[in-house]
Amino acid sequence: MLENFKINLKEIDKIKKISRDEKEFRIKNLNYFNKVGFPDKKIEDWKFSDLKGIIYKNFDKLNIKNINSKFKNVDLINDFDHNYITLVNGELNDINFKFEEKKNLKIKSFYNDNFLDRIQDNPLINLNHALSKNGYLLEVEENYRFKKVLVIYNLFTENLRDNILNSRNKIKIGKNSELHTIDLVINKSKHKFINNVYEDIILDNNAVFKNICIQNEKSEGYFHKFSKNTLASKSKYSSFIFPSGLKFNKFDLEFNLEGEESECNLQAASFLGKNDHQEIKTRINHFAPNCKSYQRVKNVLNSDGKGVYQGKIFVKDIAQKTNAYQLSKAMLLSDDSEFDSKPELEIYADDVKCSHGSTSGSIDEDSIYYLMTRGLNRKESVKLLVNGFLNEVIEMIKSNTMRKFVKSKLERHVHGY
Amino acid sequence: MLEIKNLKASINERDILKGLNITIKPGELHAIMGPNGSGKSTLANVLSGKNGYKISGELKYKGENLIEIPVDERAQKGIFLAFQYPTEIPGVNTNNFLKTSLNKIRKARGEKEVDTLSFLKIIKEKSIELGIDEKILSRQLNVGFSGGEKKKNEILQMKILDPNLTILDETDSGLDIDALKTIANGVNSSRDKKKSFLVITHYQRLLNYINPDFVHVLSDGKIVRSGRMELAEELEKTGYKKIN
Repeated sequence: MLENFKINLKEIDKIKKISRDEKEFRIKNLNYFNKVGFPDKKIEDWKFSDLKGIIYKNFDKLNIKNINSKFKNVDLINDFDHNYITLVNGELNDINFKFEEKKNLKIKSFYNDNFLDRIQDNPLINLNHALSKNGYLLEVEENYRFKKVLVIYNLFTENLRDNILNSRNKIKIGKNSELHTIDLVINKSKHKFINNVYEDIILDNNAVFKNICIQNEKSEGYFHKFSKNTLASKSKYSSFIFPSGLKFNKFDLEFNLEGEESECNLQAASFLGKNDHQEIKTRINHFAPNCKSYQRVKNVLNSDGKGVYQGKIFVKDIAQKTNAYQLSKAMLLSDDSEFDSKPELEIYADDVKCSHGSTSGSIDEDSIYYLMTRGLNRKESVKLLVNGFLNEVIEMIKSNTMRKFVKSKLERHVHGY
Repeated sequence: MLEIKNLKASINERDILKGLNITIKPGELHAIMGPNGSGKSTLANVLSGKNGYKISGELKYKGENLIEIPVDERAQKGIFLAFQYPTEIPGVNTNNFLKTSLNKIRKARGEKEVDTLSFLKIIKEKSIELGIDEKILSRQLNVGFSGGEKKKNEILQMKILDPNLTILDETDSGLDIDALKTIANGVNSSRDKKKSFLVITHYQRLLNYINPDFVHVLSDGKIVRSGRMELAEELEKTGYKKIN
């Protein structure tokens, strides 16, 4: 149990079978977390998301005990063939790669073998490094293209209550290999909990990774995910995120374009409603020449929903011919909703193309009028416009099957409007 | 069909319509011409029910007072406005939108809703009739449409929704001869004893193709002259200044 949300060092003793290096690493991180605590708005990266305030307001206590996560049957997607893994409260539970050649991949529960990480300036990462025991490690060998998509079912169980889950995942994709994944949240939980994920994705030369993250099920969960993505030469990374809006939901995404001609494409679309607070924070580091990055983040805000986008593009002096683009668009449906956007460019090279745009405004009355002259009432018109606004992101998904699947999942979400 | 008596409309304390009278009977096509700023588009907006205007006078459609009726219900009752500048609506598929719209209107009329298959059949039929490339209908509503495509799409919507009273707000502006003919054909093929049209235009050009029953001149918020097709021809020669 936590007192004043500080965590006793004894918790680390409870983690069995760890090396001395690992123990030191965990202790170092825990000490840092205990010193700083949950981040508040005084920290620049958290200026729009006062997590400390949110946690203190909503939690009296936090339970860091590992929750018993027995195997639960998950309703598998029927729409298309897929491989899958199941994570129950973050713990790797079920594995099925029936469409793949097993020799070309490795999957196991996560274990950390890197204790050299510098102390991060995000206390939640320290907390994760100190306590995480769950997660998965997936490695794809060289020259192997997955035949079917991998669905990662993220199940949260009914017995969660005031728990703080820390998990760590890692995906490594070898040279010339390709992997597509879908992250899907399945929520059975009824009470409050915190889910704190650290993710590491490494693309070797010429590797391709495509990911769709769907969080369409609402919960009482408070989610934080830090994702560190490293791209080697000519690798391509594309990520579509469709977060559901929760009382707290923050995606902190770092892309390191380390190899020449690597590309990343990040698109997000959300409908945020009552009591939702969601932040997408990105940092795209152009470390090598001739790389491309593209970001598009769209938010619709209803009721007292709050959305945040902090997007930074960093271009190192040697990263000539960088082509970086960033766009944030927000549609506010209510006077009580709020959207904060902080685009940043930090450029040290002189031959680059970097552009950014950010708009937020209320729904276009002329569009509503046009639709109403065709017999739709105001509510139907707004719904059509909201769907249209978010559809622009969904339409960018190339695969027909995936696009349909995402649409069917998300329309339910806006339906409640 | 439509009875307008002493209609006054103002927006932001500015008077635009200043006592307008016009009566349109079933089967009639009336043209309204007038210089810029005379109130033509305001009339179209007020008839469709657009918010923001202060209105007084009498506005009756099929004997029913329209003033309190919202935009969507007017559409459901059979009033259709073809926009001067059709709004671009990103992310909304034209076909899906049209189907939703048609079904709303059919439902209001007490007709059965159409399923996707029958809808596509209707679309195909009407597009061929109008000589419109169906492909634009699988695109986002009016997004990236050329001026001509937008106007043709308005006429296609008119055809599909089959209204009783159609108001064309400068639908002919900015069109080439071929597109103009498409629009005119669309109107002509819809005309029957029951349907009425109010065609707002700057030019005689369109009227040559659609033969209005009556031509009115709107100036400074009032109808200043009414007549037959000859009035349009006269206007083309003399301009609006002489009319005042």
